[in-house]
Amino acid sequence: MGIASPDLSVKIGKIEMKNPVTVASGTFGFGQEMADFYDLSRLGAIVVKGTSLDPWFGNPYPRTVETPSGMLNAIGLQNDGLESFLSEKLPFLRQFDVPVIVNVVGQSVEEYAEVAAALDKAEGVAGLELNLSCPNVKKGCMIFGSTPEGIAEVIRAVRKRTGLTLITKLSPNVTDIVSIAQAAVEAGSDALSLINTLLGTAIDPWKRKFRLANITGGLSGPAVKPVALRMVWQVASAVDVPIIGMGGIMNAMDAVEFMLAGADAIAVGTGNFVNPMAAVEIVTGIEEYLKATNISDVKKIVGAVN
Amino acid sequence: MKGLCECEIIAQSEISPGVVRTLLTGPEIANEAKPGQFVNVQVARTTTDPLLRRPFSVHAVYPDQGVYSLLYVMVGRGTALLNKIQPGDYVSVVGPLGRGFDLGDSPDAEHIVIAGGCGAAPLHFLCDDLCNKWGCEKVKVLTGGRSKNAVLCEAEFRSHGVDVAVSTDDGTYGHHGVVTELLQRYLDNDAQRTTHNAQRPFRIYSCGPHAMMREVARICAEAGVHDVQLSLENNMACGIGVCTGCVQKIKGPMKNDKSGQNWHYERVCKDGPVFNAEDIIWE
Repeated sequence: MGIASPDLSVKIGKIEMKNPVTVASGTFGFGQEMADFYDLSRLGAIVVKGTSLDPWFGNPYPRTVETPSGMLNAIGLQNDGLESFLSEKLPFLRQFDVPVIVNVVGQSVEEYAEVAAALDKAEGVAGLELNLSCPNVKKGCMIFGSTPEGIAEVIRAVRKRTGLTLITKLSPNVTDIVSIAQAAVEAGSDALSLINTLLGTAIDPWKRKFRLANITGGLSGPAVKPVALRMVWQVASAVDVPIIGMGGIMNAMDAVEFMLAGADAIAVGTGNFVNPMAAVEIVTGIEEYLKATNISDVKKIVGAVN
Repeated sequence: MKGLCECEIIAQSEISPGVVRTLLTGPEIANEAKPGQFVNVQVARTTTDPLLRRPFSVHAVYPDQGVYSLLYVMVGRGTALLNKIQPGDYVSVVGPLGRGFDLGDSPDAEHIVIAGGCGAAPLHFLCDDLCNKWGCEKVKVLTGGRSKNAVLCEAEFRSHGVDVAVSTDDGTYGHHGVVTELLQRYLDNDAQRTTHNAQRPFRIYSCGPHAMMREVARICAEAGVHDVQLSLENNMACGIGVCTGCVQKIKGPMKNDKSGQNWHYERVCKDGPVFNAEDIIWE
C-alpha cells in the first residue's frame, strides 16, 4: 500500500513552502524569463537574483566558461538595483502563488541593512537571503562571509532593520564552514543556504590566457555536488536552523541526497540552464521517491541518512 | 508557454569540409521561429560533460512539413557530438530564442545582407523572409569566406532569385578580398548614382566574424546608413536570459544608474543576438 499523496510542504523560518524545491539566486533572473516555461506557482519558493541598493554593471566579458561537468561564472552581480526591483520585478512576481525570497548584496554593512529595511516594507517579499558568499566582486559579499566576525556584523545590522526571515548564504571558500555557520546563527540568521560557488579559474593553453575576463570565477554544476553535500551534512549536524541545500542538483535523486544529508529544502541552480524544466521535474521526482519508499511526509527524510 | 522540444534528427550532411547541415523535426520551432533567432541544443543527453546546451541559429524553416535546419561548423566538442547523432535519434531543443532581425516597414528600402563564413547560417532564413515580404529584387547578398570552401550557402541565396556577390580572402573564388570591400564598393557606387537627397534607404543585415561586423558597422556609419542590424555571438550558459553571462557592451546609461557611466551591458541571448550596429561598443 503506497502513499497516495505525500506531504511535500516544508518551512524555512516563517516561510511556508508547498514543496522543498526552490532555485539558486542568479540562475533564475527575477522569474520573468522562466515564467515562459512553467507556472512559477509550482515551486516551493523563488530566490531572485542578487539585488543591491544602486544598479551594478557587472564584470567584463567573457563571464562564463564551461568546465568538466560544470561551469565557471564571474557575472559580478549585474542588477538594476532596488528601485527597479520594487517597481517592476516584484509586481510581476506577486501574480504567482509562491513565496519570493530576495537575495541581498552590498558593498558595505550599511548597504545590506538599507536594502533589507526597504524590502521589509515591500508587499510580497517572504524573506531575505543575505549573499555573503559571491566570490566575483571586489567589495562586500564573500569578503564579509569569509570570517565569523564579518558575517555576524552584517547579520546583526540587518536583523535590527527587518523581521523578515533571514537566510544567510554561505561560501564554501573557507577553512571551516561550520564555525561560520554557527556565527551566522548566533547573530540572528533564521536559516542558512549553502553552498555558493567554489572559486576557480580556467586557462586557454594555446592563447596562454585566462578564459574569464575576471580571471577567477565561481564553479557550479554537478562537479561541485560532493563538496556541497559534505558541507550541508557538516553544517546540518552543527546547527539547529533550517538549511537550503544546493550545489550541482540536476535531478530528484540529487535533491533527495541533499535532504538526507540534512537540507530542509533544496535549490536548483546551474541545472536550470541545462534543463529549464529541472526544478518542476524535481518536485515531481521527489514526490515519486516518497511514494516508492512509502514515506508520507518529505520532512521525514531530512537528515535521515543512516 | 515555451518548453523543451524533442526533435528528431532527419539527416545530417557535410555540405563543405567541416560544415554540417542538420535537418530536424519540430513543428513549433518551424512555425514560430523568426530569422536571427536561435535554438539551444543538448548535444549529449547521457553525460554531464559537456554540461551546457549549444546555441545554433535557425538556418531554414519548412512550416508545412514541421521541420527546420541548422548549419554549423565543427569547431569543438559540442559540434562534434552533435554531428555523431544518427538520423532517427532525438535531441532536446529549447527555442526559438532571442530577438531576431527586424525586416522593416518601408517598401522603398533596399536590403543588403552580408555574410561572413558560417555567418551565412541565419541569413539564408532571413533572405527567404525578405523575399517573401519585399520581393527578391529588393534584396542583395554579399557573401565571403577565407577560401572557396568557406563561402557557404551561395546556391541557397541564389535560389531565392536575389543578386549575390561573392568574395574570398585568398582569391580562389569571386572578388579577391574581404566581403566588406564589396559593401564599400556598393555603397560608393550608389552614392555616385544618386544625389545625396535621393539616396535609397538601405537596410543592412550581417552575421559573421567579429572583425567583419565591426567593419560593416564602420563602413555604414561613414556612409550615413543607419539601419544596420548585426547578429552577435558570445559564450552562452543558459541561452534564455537568466544568467546574464553572454553580455555585450551597449551605448547609453544603465537604467536608474546615477554614476554617470554612459554604457551598460545587454544580454546577447535575450536582448539580442541581433543588435543595432550604432548601439554597439566595440572592443
